Amino acid sequence: MDNSNRLNVKDLINVGIYTAICAVICCVVAMTGVVPIMMVLLVVLVPILTGIPYMLFLTKVKKFGMILILNVLMGALMWVTGMSYYALAVGTVSGLIAEFIFRAGKYKNKWLGILAYAISGIYCWANYFGIFFNAEAYFSTRQKFGQEYIDAVTKLLPVWMCPVLLIVDIACGIIGGWIGTKVLKKHFEKAGIV
Amino acid sequence: MVPFYWLLVFLPVVLLFVEKEWKTGLLYVAIYIGSYFGQVALQHELNPAESVLALMLYILTKILPTAILARYIVKTTKVSEFLAAMKRLHITDKLTIPISVIFRFFPTVVEESAAINDAMRMRGIEMGAGKATEAVEYRMVPLMASCSIIGEELSAAAMTRGLDIGKKRSCIWNIRFGVFDWLIMLVCFSCYVWWGIGRFFI
Repeated sequence: MDNSNRLNVKDLINVGIYTAICAVICCVVAMTGVVPIMMVLLVVLVPILTGIPYMLFLTKVKKFGMILILNVLMGALMWVTGMSYYALAVGTVSGLIAEFIFRAGKYKNKWLGILAYAISGIYCWANYFGIFFNAEAYFSTRQKFGQEYIDAVTKLLPVWMCPVLLIVDIACGIIGGWIGTKVLKKHFEKAGIV
Repeated sequence: MVPFYWLLVFLPVVLLFVEKEWKTGLLYVAIYIGSYFGQVALQHELNPAESVLALMLYILTKILPTAILARYIVKTTKVSEFLAAMKRLHITDKLTIPISVIFRFFPTVVEESAAINDAMRMRGIEMGAGKATEAVEYRMVPLMASCSIIGEELSAAAMTRGLDIGKKRSCIWNIRFGVFDWLIMLVCFSCYVWWGIGRFFI
Protein backbone atom coordinates (compact mmCIF):
# COMPACT_ATOMS: atom_id res chain seq x y z
CA MET A 1 0.00 0.00 0.00
CA ASP A 2 1.26 3.42 -0.89
CA ASN A 3 1.57 5.27 2.38
CA SER A 4 3.52 8.32 1.40
CA ASN A 5 0.67 10.36 0.00
CA ARG A 6 -2.31 8.98 1.82
CA LEU A 7 -3.50 10.46 5.06
CA ASN A 8 -2.69 8.10 7.88
CA VAL A 9 -4.24 7.97 11.31
CA LYS A 10 -1.62 10.22 12.83
CA ASP A 11 -2.48 13.01 10.41
CA LEU A 12 -6.17 12.59 11.05
CA ILE A 13 -5.62 12.74 14.80
CA ASN A 14 -3.63 15.93 14.37
CA VAL A 15 -6.49 17.41 12.37
CA GLY A 16 -8.88 16.51 15.16
CA ILE A 17 -6.71 18.00 17.87
CA TYR A 18 -6.18 21.33 16.18
CA THR A 19 -9.82 21.56 15.17
CA ALA A 20 -10.76 21.10 18.81
CA ILE A 21 -8.34 23.80 19.95
CA CYS A 22 -9.53 26.27 17.31
CA ALA A 23 -13.14 25.49 18.14
CA VAL A 24 -12.61 26.09 21.86
CA ILE A 25 -10.95 29.43 21.14
CA CYS A 26 -13.76 30.40 18.78
CA CYS A 27 -16.34 29.50 21.41
CA VAL A 28 -14.65 31.54 24.11
CA VAL A 29 -14.28 34.56 21.83
CA ALA A 30 -17.80 34.27 20.45
CA MET A 31 -19.25 34.47 23.95
CA THR A 32 -18.37 38.16 23.89
CA GLY A 33 -20.66 38.66 20.88
CA VAL A 34 -23.58 39.76 23.03
CA VAL A 35 -22.22 43.29 23.06
CA PRO A 36 -23.02 44.76 19.63
CA ILE A 37 -19.57 46.18 18.92
CA MET A 38 -17.88 42.91 19.90
CA MET A 39 -20.09 41.08 17.46
CA VAL A 40 -18.39 42.96 14.64
CA LEU A 41 -14.99 42.60 16.23
CA LEU A 42 -15.29 38.80 16.18
CA VAL A 43 -14.04 38.93 12.63
CA VAL A 44 -10.88 40.58 13.98
CA LEU A 45 -10.36 38.56 17.13
CA VAL A 46 -11.00 35.05 15.89
CA PRO A 47 -8.41 35.09 13.06
CA ILE A 48 -5.77 36.68 15.27
CA LEU A 49 -6.23 34.31 18.19
CA THR A 50 -6.54 31.08 16.23
CA GLY A 51 -3.37 31.99 14.33
CA ILE A 52 -1.05 30.32 16.82
CA PRO A 53 -2.67 26.86 16.83
CA TYR A 54 -3.23 27.05 13.10
CA MET A 55 0.38 27.79 12.25
CA LEU A 56 1.45 24.96 14.54
CA PHE A 57 -1.02 22.78 12.69
CA LEU A 58 0.45 23.80 9.34
CA THR A 59 3.88 22.59 10.42
CA LYS A 60 2.34 19.11 10.68
CA VAL A 61 0.61 19.31 7.32
CA LYS A 62 2.53 17.39 4.73
CA LYS A 63 -0.22 15.85 2.66
CA PHE A 64 -3.14 16.96 0.59
CA GLY A 65 -6.47 17.14 2.39
CA MET A 66 -5.64 18.07 5.97
CA ILE A 67 -6.50 21.76 5.69
CA LEU A 68 -9.66 20.88 3.81
CA ILE A 69 -10.80 18.45 6.51
CA LEU A 70 -10.08 20.98 9.27
CA ASN A 71 -12.13 23.61 7.47
CA VAL A 72 -15.04 21.29 6.79
CA LEU A 73 -15.12 20.29 10.43
CA MET A 74 -14.93 23.88 11.65
CA GLY A 75 -17.76 24.81 9.31
CA ALA A 76 -19.80 21.85 10.50
CA LEU A 77 -19.20 22.82 14.13
CA MET A 78 -20.35 26.37 13.36
CA TRP A 79 -23.48 24.96 11.80
CA VAL A 80 -24.23 22.62 14.67
CA THR A 81 -23.67 25.31 17.29
CA GLY A 82 -26.23 27.61 15.76
CA MET A 83 -24.60 29.70 13.09
CA SER A 84 -25.97 28.94 9.66
CA TYR A 85 -24.75 26.55 7.01
CA TYR A 86 -23.02 29.37 5.13
CA ALA A 87 -19.90 28.74 7.18
CA LEU A 88 -19.81 25.12 6.04
CA ALA A 89 -20.18 26.03 2.38
CA VAL A 90 -17.68 28.88 2.44
CA GLY A 91 -15.31 26.91 4.67
CA THR A 92 -15.22 24.00 2.25
CA VAL A 93 -14.41 26.18 -0.74
CA SER A 94 -11.87 28.33 1.10
CA GLY A 95 -10.26 25.24 2.59
CA LEU A 96 -9.77 23.85 -0.88
CA ILE A 97 -8.23 27.10 -2.10
CA ALA A 98 -5.96 27.27 0.94
CA GLU A 99 -4.94 23.69 0.34
CA PHE A 100 -3.79 24.51 -3.20
CA ILE A 101 -2.01 27.67 -2.04
CA PHE A 102 -0.06 25.85 0.64
CA ARG A 103 0.68 22.97 -1.68
CA ALA A 104 2.21 25.36 -4.20
CA GLY A 105 5.00 25.91 -1.67
CA LYS A 106 5.41 22.14 -1.14
CA TYR A 107 3.93 22.53 2.36
CA LYS A 108 7.03 24.35 3.54
CA ASN A 109 6.82 27.98 2.53
CA LYS A 110 6.11 30.18 5.54
CA TRP A 111 4.50 33.06 3.65
CA LEU A 112 2.27 30.82 1.60
CA GLY A 113 1.27 29.21 4.89
CA ILE A 114 0.23 32.56 6.29
CA LEU A 115 -1.72 33.31 3.13
CA ALA A 116 -3.37 29.89 3.28
CA TYR A 117 -4.40 30.56 6.87
CA ALA A 118 -5.86 33.94 5.95
CA ILE A 119 -7.88 32.44 3.10
CA SER A 120 -9.10 29.43 5.01
CA GLY A 121 -10.20 31.61 7.92
CA ILE A 122 -12.96 33.31 5.97
CA TYR A 123 -15.58 30.89 7.32
CA CYS A 124 -15.63 33.35 10.18
CA TRP A 125 -16.81 36.03 7.80
CA ALA A 126 -19.48 33.71 6.39
CA ASN A 127 -21.25 33.77 9.72
CA TYR A 128 -22.40 37.30 9.01
CA PHE A 129 -24.24 36.38 5.82
CA GLY A 130 -27.44 35.97 7.79
CA ILE A 131 -27.35 39.62 8.79
CA PHE A 132 -26.57 40.93 5.35
CA PHE A 133 -28.79 38.87 3.11
CA ASN A 134 -31.61 37.83 5.36
CA ALA A 135 -31.79 40.63 7.88
CA GLU A 136 -35.48 40.45 8.62
CA ALA A 137 -35.50 36.78 9.45
CA TYR A 138 -32.33 37.19 11.43
CA PHE A 139 -33.73 39.88 13.63
CA SER A 140 -37.22 38.47 13.93
CA THR A 141 -35.77 35.95 16.36
CA ARG A 142 -34.00 38.70 18.23
CA GLN A 143 -36.78 41.27 18.58
CA LYS A 144 -36.75 40.76 22.27
CA PHE A 145 -33.41 42.38 22.94
CA GLY A 146 -35.01 45.72 22.31
CA GLN A 147 -34.86 47.93 19.29
CA GLU A 148 -31.58 49.44 20.47
CA TYR A 149 -29.69 46.21 19.94
CA ILE A 150 -31.11 45.77 16.45
CA ASP A 151 -30.38 49.39 15.61
CA ALA A 152 -26.88 49.12 16.98
CA VAL A 153 -26.09 46.01 14.98
CA THR A 154 -27.68 47.15 11.73
CA LYS A 155 -26.00 50.53 12.00
CA LEU A 156 -22.66 48.79 12.32
CA LEU A 157 -23.41 46.39 9.51
CA PRO A 158 -24.90 47.97 6.39
CA VAL A 159 -24.63 45.84 3.25
CA TRP A 160 -21.49 47.55 1.99
CA MET A 161 -19.73 46.31 5.11
CA CYS A 162 -19.86 42.78 3.68
CA PRO A 163 -16.79 43.09 1.39
CA VAL A 164 -15.11 45.32 3.96
CA LEU A 165 -15.45 42.60 6.57
CA LEU A 166 -13.99 40.09 4.13
CA ILE A 167 -10.93 42.27 3.63
CA VAL A 168 -10.65 42.87 7.38
CA ASP A 169 -10.92 39.16 7.97
CA ILE A 170 -8.19 38.29 5.51
CA ALA A 171 -5.95 41.09 6.80
CA CYS A 172 -6.40 39.90 10.36
CA GLY A 173 -5.75 36.38 9.18
CA ILE A 174 -2.41 37.51 7.79
CA ILE A 175 -1.61 39.33 11.03
CA GLY A 176 -2.68 36.30 13.06
CA GLY A 177 -0.62 33.96 10.91
CA TRP A 178 2.39 36.23 11.19
CA ILE A 179 2.04 36.33 14.99
CA GLY A 180 1.65 32.58 14.89
CA THR A 181 4.93 32.08 13.05
CA LYS A 182 6.69 34.46 15.46
CA VAL A 183 5.39 32.50 18.45
CA LEU A 184 6.37 29.23 16.82
CA LYS A 185 9.86 30.49 16.27
CA LYS A 186 10.16 31.88 19.77
CA HIS A 187 8.79 28.93 21.72
CA PHE A 188 8.23 25.74 19.84
CA GLU A 189 11.29 25.43 17.64
CA LYS A 190 13.52 25.68 20.67
CA ALA A 191 11.48 23.12 22.56
CA GLY A 192 11.65 20.73 19.64
CA ILE A 193 7.92 20.40 19.15
CA VAL A 194 8.11 21.68 15.59
CA MET B 1 -45.85 24.82 16.90
CA VAL B 2 -45.64 25.45 20.62
CA PRO B 3 -46.07 21.87 21.83
CA PHE B 4 -43.39 20.73 19.41
CA TYR B 5 -41.08 23.45 20.66
CA TRP B 6 -41.36 22.22 24.20
CA LEU B 7 -41.16 18.63 23.07
CA LEU B 8 -37.83 19.24 21.34
CA VAL B 9 -36.52 21.31 24.23
CA PHE B 10 -37.22 18.63 26.78
CA LEU B 11 -36.21 15.64 24.71
CA PRO B 12 -32.56 15.94 25.88
CA VAL B 13 -33.71 15.90 29.52
CA VAL B 14 -35.71 12.76 28.98
CA LEU B 15 -32.59 11.16 27.52
CA LEU B 16 -30.59 12.31 30.53
CA PHE B 17 -33.17 10.86 32.88
CA VAL B 18 -32.98 7.56 31.03
CA GLU B 19 -29.26 7.66 31.83
CA LYS B 20 -30.18 8.37 35.48
CA GLU B 21 -28.56 11.80 35.51
CA TRP B 22 -31.24 13.26 37.73
CA LYS B 23 -29.26 16.16 39.12
CA THR B 24 -28.03 17.60 35.80
CA GLY B 25 -31.43 17.04 34.25
CA LEU B 26 -33.33 18.86 36.96
CA LEU B 27 -30.79 21.68 36.97
CA TYR B 28 -31.24 22.02 33.23
CA VAL B 29 -35.02 22.16 33.53
CA ALA B 30 -34.75 24.80 36.26
CA ILE B 31 -32.29 26.97 34.32
CA TYR B 32 -34.22 26.61 31.11
CA ILE B 33 -37.61 27.53 32.54
CA GLY B 34 -36.08 30.34 34.56
CA SER B 35 -34.29 31.92 31.63
CA TYR B 36 -37.21 31.39 29.26
CA PHE B 37 -39.70 33.19 31.44
CA GLY B 38 -37.03 35.69 32.42
CA GLN B 39 -36.55 36.79 28.84
CA VAL B 40 -40.29 36.76 28.18
CA ALA B 41 -40.76 39.06 31.16
CA LEU B 42 -38.03 41.38 29.92
CA GLN B 43 -39.66 42.06 26.59
CA HIS B 44 -40.79 45.62 26.80
CA GLU B 45 -39.06 48.92 27.30
CA LEU B 46 -35.48 48.07 28.09
CA ASN B 47 -32.48 50.05 29.13
CA PRO B 48 -29.17 48.80 27.68
CA ALA B 49 -28.21 46.72 30.71
CA GLU B 50 -31.53 44.90 30.70
CA SER B 51 -31.19 44.45 26.98
CA VAL B 52 -27.88 42.65 27.38
CA LEU B 53 -29.34 40.51 30.15
CA ALA B 54 -32.32 39.58 27.99
CA LEU B 55 -29.97 38.71 25.16
CA MET B 56 -27.90 36.45 27.37
CA LEU B 57 -30.98 34.65 28.67
CA TYR B 58 -32.23 34.24 25.12
CA ILE B 59 -28.95 32.77 23.95
CA LEU B 60 -29.05 30.46 26.96
CA THR B 61 -32.45 29.14 25.95
CA LYS B 62 -31.14 28.46 22.45
CA ILE B 63 -27.85 26.87 23.41
CA LEU B 64 -28.77 24.88 26.51
CA PRO B 65 -30.72 22.09 24.76
CA THR B 66 -27.86 21.58 22.32
CA ALA B 67 -25.31 21.56 25.11
CA ILE B 68 -27.29 19.00 27.08
CA LEU B 69 -27.69 16.83 24.00
CA ALA B 70 -23.95 17.07 23.35
CA ARG B 71 -23.30 16.01 26.93
CA TYR B 72 -25.60 13.06 26.49
CA ILE B 73 -23.91 12.01 23.27
CA VAL B 74 -20.41 12.32 24.72
CA LYS B 75 -21.39 10.44 27.83
CA THR B 76 -23.15 7.53 26.20
CA THR B 77 -21.18 7.00 23.01
CA LYS B 78 -17.89 5.19 23.22
CA VAL B 79 -15.33 6.12 20.61
CA SER B 80 -15.14 2.63 19.18
CA GLU B 81 -18.93 2.44 19.03
CA PHE B 82 -19.01 5.72 17.19
CA LEU B 83 -16.38 4.57 14.72
CA ALA B 84 -18.13 1.26 14.12
CA ALA B 85 -21.51 2.94 13.61
CA MET B 86 -20.05 5.46 11.17
CA LYS B 87 -18.31 2.66 9.33
CA ARG B 88 -21.63 0.93 8.88
CA LEU B 89 -23.06 4.17 7.52
CA HIS B 90 -20.19 4.11 5.02
CA ILE B 91 -18.81 7.46 6.11
CA THR B 92 -15.14 7.82 5.32
CA ASP B 93 -12.48 7.43 7.99
CA LYS B 94 -11.06 10.78 7.01
CA LEU B 95 -13.98 12.49 8.68
CA THR B 96 -14.86 10.09 11.47
CA ILE B 97 -11.42 9.85 13.04
CA PRO B 98 -11.00 13.61 13.44
CA ILE B 99 -14.56 13.87 14.79
CA SER B 100 -13.93 11.18 17.38
CA VAL B 101 -10.71 12.95 18.37
CA ILE B 102 -12.65 16.20 18.77
CA PHE B 103 -15.14 14.46 21.06
CA ARG B 104 -12.33 13.11 23.13
CA PHE B 105 -10.37 16.34 23.05
CA PHE B 106 -12.88 19.02 23.89
CA PRO B 107 -12.93 18.27 27.62
CA THR B 108 -9.14 17.89 27.60
CA VAL B 109 -8.59 21.34 26.10
CA VAL B 110 -10.91 22.94 28.65
CA GLU B 111 -9.26 21.07 31.53
CA GLU B 112 -5.74 21.90 30.42
CA SER B 113 -6.53 25.55 29.90
CA ALA B 114 -8.13 25.74 33.36
CA ALA B 115 -4.99 24.25 34.89
CA ILE B 116 -2.74 26.62 32.93
CA ASN B 117 -4.93 29.52 33.95
CA ASP B 118 -4.46 28.61 37.61
CA ALA B 119 -0.72 28.31 37.18
CA MET B 120 -0.50 31.68 35.45
CA ARG B 121 -2.56 33.34 38.11
CA MET B 122 -0.13 31.99 40.66
CA ARG B 123 2.64 33.74 38.73
CA GLY B 124 0.63 36.92 38.70
CA ILE B 125 -0.10 36.96 34.97
CA GLU B 126 -3.76 37.74 34.80
CA MET B 127 -6.16 38.56 32.03
CA GLY B 128 -6.62 42.30 31.88
CA ALA B 129 -3.67 43.10 34.10
CA GLY B 130 -0.45 44.13 32.43
CA LYS B 131 0.14 43.45 28.77
CA ALA B 132 -2.67 41.73 26.95
CA THR B 133 -0.32 40.07 24.47
CA GLU B 134 1.62 38.56 27.33
CA ALA B 135 -1.53 37.25 28.97
CA VAL B 136 -2.61 35.57 25.75
CA GLU B 137 0.84 34.28 24.82
CA TYR B 138 1.54 32.75 28.20
CA ARG B 139 -1.71 30.86 28.05
CA MET B 140 -1.66 29.76 24.44
CA VAL B 141 1.88 28.45 24.29
CA PRO B 142 1.68 25.98 27.19
CA LEU B 143 -1.73 24.89 25.95
CA MET B 144 -0.35 24.17 22.49
CA ALA B 145 2.62 22.35 23.94
CA SER B 146 0.60 20.07 26.20
CA CYS B 147 -2.01 19.42 23.52
CA SER B 148 0.68 18.47 21.07
CA ILE B 149 2.12 15.97 23.54
CA ILE B 150 -1.31 14.52 24.30
CA GLY B 151 -1.77 14.20 20.56
CA GLU B 152 1.36 12.07 20.25
CA GLU B 153 0.06 9.78 22.98
CA LEU B 154 -3.31 9.61 21.32
CA SER B 155 -1.85 8.53 18.01
CA ALA B 156 0.22 5.88 19.76
CA ALA B 157 -2.96 4.60 21.38
CA ALA B 158 -4.69 4.57 18.00
CA MET B 159 -1.82 2.54 16.52
CA THR B 160 -2.19 -0.11 19.20
CA ARG B 161 -5.88 -0.30 18.45
CA GLY B 162 -5.02 -0.95 14.85
CA LEU B 163 -6.80 2.05 13.44
CA ASP B 164 -4.35 2.44 10.60
CA ILE B 165 -4.06 -1.04 9.20
CA GLY B 166 -6.56 -0.14 6.50
CA LYS B 167 -8.56 -3.34 6.84
CA LYS B 168 -12.02 -3.88 8.16
CA ARG B 169 -12.09 -3.63 11.93
CA SER B 170 -14.42 -5.76 13.96
CA CYS B 171 -16.43 -4.40 16.86
CA ILE B 172 -17.53 -6.31 19.94
CA TRP B 173 -20.76 -4.32 20.26
CA ASN B 174 -23.63 -5.14 18.01
CA ILE B 175 -24.80 -1.75 16.80
CA ARG B 176 -28.36 -1.73 15.57
CA PHE B 177 -31.41 0.45 15.57
CA GLY B 178 -33.68 -0.42 18.45
CA VAL B 179 -37.29 0.47 19.18
CA PHE B 180 -36.24 3.59 21.11
CA ASP B 181 -34.13 4.88 18.26
CA TRP B 182 -37.01 4.59 15.83
CA LEU B 183 -39.32 6.24 18.36
CA ILE B 184 -37.06 9.25 18.85
CA MET B 185 -36.46 9.56 15.13
CA LEU B 186 -40.22 9.49 14.60
CA VAL B 187 -40.73 12.26 17.15
CA CYS B 188 -38.05 14.47 15.59
CA PHE B 189 -39.25 13.77 12.08
CA SER B 190 -42.85 14.56 12.96
CA CYS B 191 -41.67 17.99 14.09
CA TYR B 192 -40.27 18.58 10.61
CA VAL B 193 -43.51 17.42 9.02
CA TRP B 194 -45.53 19.71 11.27
CA TRP B 195 -43.22 22.62 10.46
CA GLY B 196 -43.49 21.86 6.75
CA ILE B 197 -47.29 21.80 6.87
CA GLY B 198 -47.37 25.09 8.76
CA ARG B 199 -44.82 26.66 6.45
CA PHE B 200 -46.02 25.65 3.02
CA PHE B 201 -49.68 24.67 3.20
CA ILE B 202 -51.33 27.11 5.57
